[in-house]
Amino acid sequence: MNAFRALLTAELRILLRDRMTFFFTLLFPLIFILIFGFLMGNIGNVDRASLGVAFLADVDRALLEETIAEAGALEIVPFDSLESLEGAVAKGSVDFGTAWDGEVLRLIYDPNRVQENYAFQQVADGITNDFDLKRQGLSPPVHVEPIHVGLVAATSWFNRVVPGILAFSVLSAGLFAVSGHLTAMKERRILDRMIVTPMPPVGLLAAIAVVRLILVYVSTLITLATSVLLFDLAFDVNWFHYTVFVGCATLGTMGLGTIIALVVRRPSSAGNLANVLAMVMMFLAGIYFPVELMPAFLRILSKGLPLTHMADAMRYATGVMEMSGGQFWTTALAFLGTACVLFPILARYVVRPARQ
Amino acid sequence: MNDVLLLAKTHVVTALRERVTLFWFLIFPVFLLTILTLIFGRLGEEGEISFEISLINRDSSSATAGDFSAMIAEVFTKMGSPHIEGQKPLFSVHVPQADDDLDTFLEREEHALRRGHRAAIVVIPEGFHDAALHAVMNPSGIAQPATLRVYMSRNDVASEMATEIITHVLAEVDREILVRTGHFDPGKAIARETVWAGQDTGEIRYVDFLLPGVVLMGFFTNGLFGVPGAILFNRDRKVLRRYWVTPLSVSRYLAGFALGHLSLCVLQLVLLLLLGRFAFGATVEFAQLDAVLILILAAVTFMAFGFLIASLARTANAGMAIANILNMPMMFLSGMFFPISGLPTFLLAVVYVNPVSYLVEGLRASLGVQSSTFPSILLVIVPLGWIAASVAVAAGKLKWDVAR
Repeated sequence: MNAFRALLTAELRILLRDRMTFFFTLLFPLIFILIFGFLMGNIGNVDRASLGVAFLADVDRALLEETIAEAGALEIVPFDSLESLEGAVAKGSVDFGTAWDGEVLRLIYDPNRVQENYAFQQVADGITNDFDLKRQGLSPPVHVEPIHVGLVAATSWFNRVVPGILAFSVLSAGLFAVSGHLTAMKERRILDRMIVTPMPPVGLLAAIAVVRLILVYVSTLITLATSVLLFDLAFDVNWFHYTVFVGCATLGTMGLGTIIALVVRRPSSAGNLANVLAMVMMFLAGIYFPVELMPAFLRILSKGLPLTHMADAMRYATGVMEMSGGQFWTTALAFLGTACVLFPILARYVVRPARQ
Repeated sequence: MNDVLLLAKTHVVTALRERVTLFWFLIFPVFLLTILTLIFGRLGEEGEISFEISLINRDSSSATAGDFSAMIAEVFTKMGSPHIEGQKPLFSVHVPQADDDLDTFLEREEHALRRGHRAAIVVIPEGFHDAALHAVMNPSGIAQPATLRVYMSRNDVASEMATEIITHVLAEVDREILVRTGHFDPGKAIARETVWAGQDTGEIRYVDFLLPGVVLMGFFTNGLFGVPGAILFNRDRKVLRRYWVTPLSVSRYLAGFALGHLSLCVLQLVLLLLLGRFAFGATVEFAQLDAVLILILAAVTFMAFGFLIASLARTANAGMAIANILNMPMMFLSGMFFPISGLPTFLLAVVYVNPVSYLVEGLRASLGVQSSTFPSILLVIVPLGWIAASVAVAAGKLKWDVAR
C-alpha cells in the first residue's frame, strides 16, 4: 500500500510539473467554452435575434408593426433608411432586416451568415405571410400550437454544446494518458526501472488512472462552472450519474488509448494519432453541430463513435437531454467494460520492458 | 541555385512522407471542407435531410373526403411520399393502424419523440373541420382559427426544424384555403424582395463562402505547425548542424525552405480547389490577381509567424505546444468559419490583432464573396506588420543549432 501511495504521489507530482498536460486538460476546455460561447452561443437562436426595421412609407405601417410584434421575442431596431439598415446588417449590428416602402417588402440578410440565414428566412417568411393576409383584412384559418413534450426544461443550443465539450475533454485526457504519458515513460525507460521493482504493472496503471480521474473530474467541474457563470446557462445535474459517468468514461477512453499505444509505439506518434482521432470524432459526434443535420451516412457513422455516446450520456447527466436509464447505464458500463478488457492488455503488452 | 531547389524538394518530400503532416496539411482541410459543406451546404434541402413525424387525425366531426381535416392529413401524407426517386422524402409519416387506440398511439409516439426517434407529432384535434370551416366563413379574424397541435421537443434541433417546416407548410395551406374560397386575392399580394447586404451578386452558396476559409486554414496550419516543426525538429535532431558544415549559408537554406513551404501551399490550394469545384460545385474564381496576391501574402505571413514561434521555443515539443495553444483561438477568432459579430471587447481585441482576420476578409473580398468590414489598407498593412515583426524577432532570437 505504501508503494502504491508513493506511486500516486509521484504521478501527481509529474502531472503538476507537466505544464502542457495541465494546460490541455484544465485550460483547453475553458478556451473552447469561451470562444464557442461568445462566438456561437446564439447561432440560429431566433428568439434572441435582432431585426432591423425601416419604414420608408406609412402605408399599412401599423399592420406591419403589429405583425412583427406577434412574430416572437425578436429585438426590434428601427432604421431611417434602407441604406443604413443594409449597412447595419452587413456589419452585424442587427441579425437581419426588413424595409417596407408601401409596395415592396424587402428582406435583408447578411450573405456571410450562411449557417444562420435559414432560421432568419423562416421567421421573415412567417412575418411576410401574416402581413400579406392582414393587408387584405384576413387572418389565417389554421393556427399551429407547438406543445413541448420534453420532460426536461427547454434549453438553448449552447446548453447541449457544453456537455459535449466536457465529453471531449474526458476523451482527450483518457486517450493521451496512455498514448502520450505512458508511452513517453516507456521511451524514457522510466517504465523499465519500475518494472524491476516488486510493484506490479497494474499498480502503476492504477496510480495513473487515479490521478487522471481526479484531474479530469476537476477539469469538467471548472468548465461546467465557468459556462454557468459566464453564459448564464442552467443545468440540472444529477451528481451521481455525472460522477459515475466521468469515472467510467475516463477509464474507458484510457482503455481505448491502449489500442493506440499498441499500434504506435513512439510517444510523439501516439500522441499525434490520438490528436487526429479526437479531432475527427469531435466533428462527427455532434459536439458543435447537431448530428440530426448531417446526411444519413454520416449519422450512421456518428452512431459508431464513442464520443457521440459520451456526449449524449453527459447531456443526460447534466439534465439537458432525455434518455432512458437503461441506455445511460449501458453506455457507462460499456466504457467500464472497455477499461476492464483493455487494461490487462495494457498491463501485459504496453507496461513491459522495452526491447534492447 | 541547385542547392535551393534540392532543399525545397527535400522539404516537400519530407512533409509528404510524415503521415501526421500529411493529415494536418492535406487530409484535415479536405475533411473539414467535406463535412461542413455536407452539413451546412444543403440545409433544409429535400433528400438531404429527412424527419420522422407522426400524424394523428382525431377529427370525426366530418368524414367526407373534402373536409379540412382530411385535406391537412393528405398534405402530410403526400409530403411523406418520395418526390425524387431514390431519395427519402422530407417527412417519413407514421400514422396509427386501423385497430390502434389513438391515446395509446399518441403516448407511444410522445415517448419516441422524447427519445429523439420522432421529430414531431401532428395532431388534428376533434372538431378541427368545424372550427376551420367557421374561420374560413369569417376570415376577417372574428372567429378563432382552428388549432392544429404539433407536439415537439425544444431540446432537439431536428424537432425544432421539423416544427418550423410544418408551420411553414401550414401557412401555405392557409393561403391556399383563402385563395380557393375567394377571400384572398393573389393579385393584391405584396411584392417581396430579398436583399443581400453589401453584396451585388446575390446569395452566396455555402461552399463558395467556406472554400476561401478552408484554403487559408490549410495555409495557417502549414505555417503554424509545419515551419516550427521542420526547423526545431531538424535542429533538435542535429540535422541542421550537418547543413552548417557544408558551404550552405543560412540565407540559401531559408530560400530553399521557403520555396518548399510555398510549394506545399500550392499543392494544398490545388487539391482544395479541385475538390471544391468538382465534388461540391464551388464557383468562386481564385484566378484573379487580387486573390493570388492575398494568397501569397497569407502564405508568407503564416510562414513568418511559424519562424516567430520557432524563435520563441527552446525545443520542438515546446514549439508544437505553443502552436497548439494559438491554433484554435486564432482560427476561430478570425471569421474563418463563423461570423465574429457580437463578441465582448477582450475577444474583439484578439480579432483585431489577429492577422488571420485580415487575410480571411481580404481573400473573401477579393473573390467577391464578402464585403470587408476592415478598411482596405488594413487588409495588407496588418499582415505586413506581422511579417516585419516576426522576421525581426526571428532574426534576433532564432538559434540555428542546439547548444553545445
